[in-house]
Amino acid sequence: MSDIQLSVQGLWKTFHPGLFEADVEALKGLSFEVGRGEIFGFLGPNGAGKTTTIKAICEIIRPDAGTINVCGHPHTAPAAKRKLGFMSESPYVYRHLSGREYLRFCGELLGLPPAGMEARIAGVLDEVGMASRADRGLGTYSKGMQQRIGLAQALLGDPELLILDEPMSGLDPLGRRDVRDIILARAAAGATVFFSSHIIPDVEALCDRVAIVVDGRLRAIGTVDELLARDPVSFELTFTGAALDGLATPLEASHERSDATWVRVATPHRDALLAELGGRGARLLSLNPVRISLEDLLVEHSAEPTT
Amino acid sequence: MRAIRAIAANTFREAIRDRILYLFVGFALAMVVSTKLFGMLTVGDEAKIVKDIGLASIQFFSMLIAVMMSMLLVSREVDSRTVFIILAKPVRRWQFLVGKYLGLVAIVTANLVFITVVLAVMVLAYTGQWDPMLFFAAAMTLLEMLVLAAFAILFAVLTRPILGSLMTLAVFVVGHTSAELWLLTRQLPGSLTRGLVAVVYHLIPNLERFNFRTEVVHGLPVAPAAVGWAVIYAVAFAAVALVLADLRFRSRDLR
Ligand SMILES: Nc1ncnc2c1ncn2[C@@H]1O[C@H](COP(=O)(O)OP(=O)(O)OP(=O)(O)O)[C@@H](O)[C@H]1O
Ligand SMILES: [Mg+2]
Repeated sequence: MSDIQLSVQGLWKTFHPGLFEADVEALKGLSFEVGRGEIFGFLGPNGAGKTTTIKAICEIIRPDAGTINVCGHPHTAPAAKRKLGFMSESPYVYRHLSGREYLRFCGELLGLPPAGMEARIAGVLDEVGMASRADRGLGTYSKGMQQRIGLAQALLGDPELLILDEPMSGLDPLGRRDVRDIILARAAAGATVFFSSHIIPDVEALCDRVAIVVDGRLRAIGTVDELLARDPVSFELTFTGAALDGLATPLEASHERSDATWVRVATPHRDALLAELGGRGARLLSLNPVRISLEDLLVEHSAEPTT
Repeated sequence: MRAIRAIAANTFREAIRDRILYLFVGFALAMVVSTKLFGMLTVGDEAKIVKDIGLASIQFFSMLIAVMMSMLLVSREVDSRTVFIILAKPVRRWQFLVGKYLGLVAIVTANLVFITVVLAVMVLAYTGQWDPMLFFAAAMTLLEMLVLAAFAILFAVLTRPILGSLMTLAVFVVGHTSAELWLLTRQLPGSLTRGLVAVVYHLIPNLERFNFRTEVVHGLPVAPAAVGWAVIYAVAFAAVALVLADLRFRSRDLR
């Protein structure tokens, strides 16, 4: 990738929660890069360090070590901040403002030109489907509505890099589809999108690349296809003409249907099983590799003991 | 600087949309209006007593507003994490603090002007005389509030709100008494008490410097130099408190 929009190098962070509590090592040398125009998914189990990474990128916390570059600038530079749109994990909003007043405030902070401000606010309100509710107090919004305003705020500055921490959580199916559409539209318009999520179908549908982080370390990074294109973990086969009883090969699962017998066998035992069945005179009907899903991969990484 | 202005304006708006502010303003008004009662109950020049108690009430409630609103609005912004969105925008942390500070100063000023006008109108009603010096005394109280609000912000970023409020109140109380203590103990031969008082006297702003009530109430002349020094003193202490607040806040992780 020649054009890196987000670069995180060697990020370390230990929290010191208090006198009588143990330190928490949240990030342990995390590094990755996101190229221009990519939609990048950031995955990992609860407590993996996703939010911590995002907070470090947005300068809400200071990493103990490591460098972060945003759109070619150090992440603390105002130039970087102007190109960044950030939406937090839960929507944190002022209860004393209406949606529109909140966006005006954000527009001022971004230094948007006053002339086009109202039009721009109307634009993002429309984009997140909140135009008709913009003049109600944020305190009266539902969580999903607050989240939409949080997204509107992130889009307001027309950012080159969108950083979204679990943008789909808490949304109804329609809201999730809206957010997906917004991410796709912004990416099509040239923005880079970096988002964390636990919703695998969204990640599979949207992301050019994903990173899996576990316990503060990068476990895997690549396109979804790359990550899943490994040897199949097991095979499913169906056959007739032989009984299951007394097979020496260990099976993962089996089921005797009325027309045929179905079994699943781990890849290392596949050939032994085929030989054994052949010896019993079975007739093979099908043999299919079982590929790992992104969800399996995530579960596999999350479950692995870490040192 | 637009960011600072926006944060100040938002802070001001948050306060004027908060019931608590009206509670304080209401008490202050009630206090100022009821000075008439004190005037009637006490022997002596009624107008002077109204002015004296009125100005003292103004000072006390301005202090409450400065301390409580600073604590409330700074810690609310940090605790409810609305500050995340601000810091992810092209806004420096010191700009956030200065914006908050200026918003709070605006709140205190608005309240001060309002109550002082009420007091001046009351005095006008009793005496038939418009006393512009009341506004001078209020302006000096504002200087005091500049210092207290800065300390409140410092304590708000250093500690939890309740402790921070108590610490700011302590600055108010000590700030009004340390000069007298200092005078008293200065005569003593070198002792631990004397050393302690000396330290407190020099660390905590001497808030009596902003007290021109006697002069205003009794129509005595005011020394311009004293006013000049009060201004410099206020700006210096407020600046130091804000710089210390920034030093702490700058390196702080928000959660
Ligand atoms: N302010 C803090 N003080 C102490 N520990 C913290 C703090 N913030 C995060 N942590 C710890 O750091 C680790 C990473 O937390 P983080 O919020 O980054 O996880 P996450 O990947 O976002 O998880 P989730 O999917 O639940 O949102 C966790 O062990 C968490 O307990
Ligand atoms: Mg998180």
